[in-house]
Amino acid sequence: MTLSIQLDKLLMRVEKPGRYIGGELNTVKKDLSNIRTRFGFAFPDTYEIGMSYLGLQIIYHILNKVDSVYCERIFAPAEDMESLLRAEGLPLFTLETKSPIRDLDILGFTLQYELSYSNIVNMLNLGGIPYKSKDRDASYPFIAAGGPCAFNSEPLAEILDFIMVGDGEEVLPQICEAHKSWKESGSDKETFLRTLAEIDGVYVPKFYTPVYNDDGKIIEIKKNYDKAPDRVEKRILDDLDLAEFPEKTIVPLIEAVHDRAVIEIFRGCTRGCRFCQAGIIYRPVRERTKETIKNMALNQLAETGHEELSLLSLSTSDHSQIEPLVEELMAICKENNVSLSLPSLRLDSFSFKVLQDIQGYKKSGLTFAPEAGSQRLRDVINKTITDDDIYNGMEQAIRLGWTSIKLYFMIGLPTETYEDLDGIVEIAKNITAINYNVTGKRGRFNLSVSVSNFVPKAHTPFQWVPQDTADTFHKKHQYLRDKLKSIKGVSFNYHGTDPSHLEAVFARGDRRLCDTLIKAVELGCKFDGWREHLKYDIWMKAFLETGIDPDFYAHRERSYDEILPWDIIDTGVTKEFLIAENNKSLREEQSSDCRLSCIGCGINSRVECTMEGIK
Amino acid sequence: MSRYSVCFYKSGYIRYISHLDLLRLFKRSFKRVGIKLKYSQGFNPHPKMSFAQPLSLGYTSSSEYLEFETIDTYPTETIVNKLNSSMPEGLGILSCEELPASGKSLAAMTETADYEIIIPAKNVLNQDISGLIDKYISQNEIMVFKRQKKGGKDIEINIKPLIFDIEGEANENQILITAKLAAGSSSNLSPELVLASFCNFAEIQYDRAQVSIKRTAIHFNN
Repeated sequence: MTLSIQLDKLLMRVEKPGRYIGGELNTVKKDLSNIRTRFGFAFPDTYEIGMSYLGLQIIYHILNKVDSVYCERIFAPAEDMESLLRAEGLPLFTLETKSPIRDLDILGFTLQYELSYSNIVNMLNLGGIPYKSKDRDASYPFIAAGGPCAFNSEPLAEILDFIMVGDGEEVLPQICEAHKSWKESGSDKETFLRTLAEIDGVYVPKFYTPVYNDDGKIIEIKKNYDKAPDRVEKRILDDLDLAEFPEKTIVPLIEAVHDRAVIEIFRGCTRGCRFCQAGIIYRPVRERTKETIKNMALNQLAETGHEELSLLSLSTSDHSQIEPLVEELMAICKENNVSLSLPSLRLDSFSFKVLQDIQGYKKSGLTFAPEAGSQRLRDVINKTITDDDIYNGMEQAIRLGWTSIKLYFMIGLPTETYEDLDGIVEIAKNITAINYNVTGKRGRFNLSVSVSNFVPKAHTPFQWVPQDTADTFHKKHQYLRDKLKSIKGVSFNYHGTDPSHLEAVFARGDRRLCDTLIKAVELGCKFDGWREHLKYDIWMKAFLETGIDPDFYAHRERSYDEILPWDIIDTGVTKEFLIAENNKSLREEQSSDCRLSCIGCGINSRVECTMEGIK
Repeated sequence: MSRYSVCFYKSGYIRYISHLDLLRLFKRSFKRVGIKLKYSQGFNPHPKMSFAQPLSLGYTSSSEYLEFETIDTYPTETIVNKLNSSMPEGLGILSCEELPASGKSLAAMTETADYEIIIPAKNVLNQDISGLIDKYISQNEIMVFKRQKKGGKDIEINIKPLIFDIEGEANENQILITAKLAAGSSSNLSPELVLASFCNFAEIQYDRAQVSIKRTAIHFNN
């Protein structure tokens, strides 16, 4: 069954109908009669956001290379489309064949952000699929998830049939292969889940039952199936340079948030910032070689015709060949009338030289993230830049003609005091003074100070610490606003506390949040990551009605010996290391970048760290 | 350096992408097939490429025109073949013509365009749509409200001089109107206004979302 005819009539009535039509260049068409596994890659946000996500392109490419598998795409419909679908009694559909999502075999959601969970529940509802795993028989698709939030997917544990932890390139085809055999065998759902539980990197939540104490803490996680692993080790792709990477990427017909060719230059990060979850879960650092990157860039540009090329990694400047790589890519781009975009550069002299070359006289703004305002607090979080680094970088930028600079900070970091906030004000003041010294002018210079609220994340050295309360955040915002107001040329932005609070609850949540999530969606919550859609008061109502105290998750200090809901997942980084790092943070001690020497996180007992001690 | 125009069709789901999206699509298509476009000079160079007449989102067309300047010279059939090797579903190049190196743009030469409007309607077989069209066009003037681009105010205008030809017929469950309307930068008439004013005149109920509009030709002066 396909919804093409009914859908066609709805498209004239929605904003941006191009979101729902599919048929973009490099999309894959397959004859369904030869397909054993119909896979839906589901992105729980709108088309424009989902199509900017490289992971979608990688998985789409890898799965569609398998003859027996057809991977199609599904996005969250915007509000107007959702209302029309509901009014017409039509289900959520895939872009490729316009099939109801219920007709698929496996529906895989990517978990990029905690505040997209409500969209997952809403999308299941729009597909006519029961929320909980136990309420779905084998006639429904298996509901799966992967991505960064899969490292603590406990709030979704009762919804998801299985979760893929770690790099997806190898495990996904393996799962589809297992699905094909299972389908041919005609066995029941339980049999398939048991098979999956034995695949490395696959977590089947129903095979584990947490037992809670009267105080709400977990006393034990019981295993219900012998052959399920005691802890699920994340999958690690050991050679990124040899890994499959898409060159014929899908080229959106309408403008996506990022409309460009993208090459992932390395995975992982060696810097060890203590607040950063990505820095832990993507270990170890694995690079693509300069030649591989160049080839991929050339081929992707040729296959897509994109006018912009961007490099993806957690810290571009850290690629071991960054200087020659960037120089050679610049030459390629110049020749092809393509612009080069280099996110997350370190502000060293090479970066400025490159930015000067790329941007010339039409400079875009310069963005820089010191994260904390004082040296003391930067030691606590292990962000290893100094005041001198900041000021030297800013002076160079201003000398080269940048007039718009954006600084990112986090507030609510562990041990933070108002003196640390004064440090933010100090930095802003000093940069405007540098501008005046260099240019002799105060006008036409804009320094934007942007502050986000720290959210402690699972699997980081800060996984035990409480988040600041909304009240504390408000006071800190007020304090900064008053102090920054008086500095000419400085503008101040901060993130709302409501989304930060919800994010903190779900980032370290457990299975009991599942009913709250479903309740919130039933009460109308969705697109929580969008400021204009977040209904915080309704969320609070959902917590109340389901008897859950959100502060138990967000604001409670956990002890080292507490069993954490995400302990079931093994990132390869030991708990001892996380504890040692958190203790060091309290002593305001830094840890070195592991390119200088190994700091003993434990990942090298699983795989080789090729970047260890290379400097 | 050479200057060309291609004639192309737009059909199916791709009619739901906008004029600007289509412009980006062609830019990338030229890049993919290795036809190097001439870029404008200045701080913000962009390829020299433009459509004769924008096509509204939701309309299909069997005859759209894109003009562009290239660095190298190509046989016109090479351009057709190359572009067709790299078009998404619903778009295709029908022909290509070389244009004089300097001369008026297609947009400036656009004079009229032909449209086909299909209105689903039940039991219209017995209605004399053709007669209604004749009465409609025989009015002394056809006044409609049009939203001004600047200011957004609704002003009343007479569209009769902008309708060069209009015919209508009905079959069992739809009304087909074909019309030649003014098009281009000096005067332009949207088929939406004709659709609305005719249906209002003939007292035909319709749901805009069910109506399909296709542009079948663009006519140029020389």
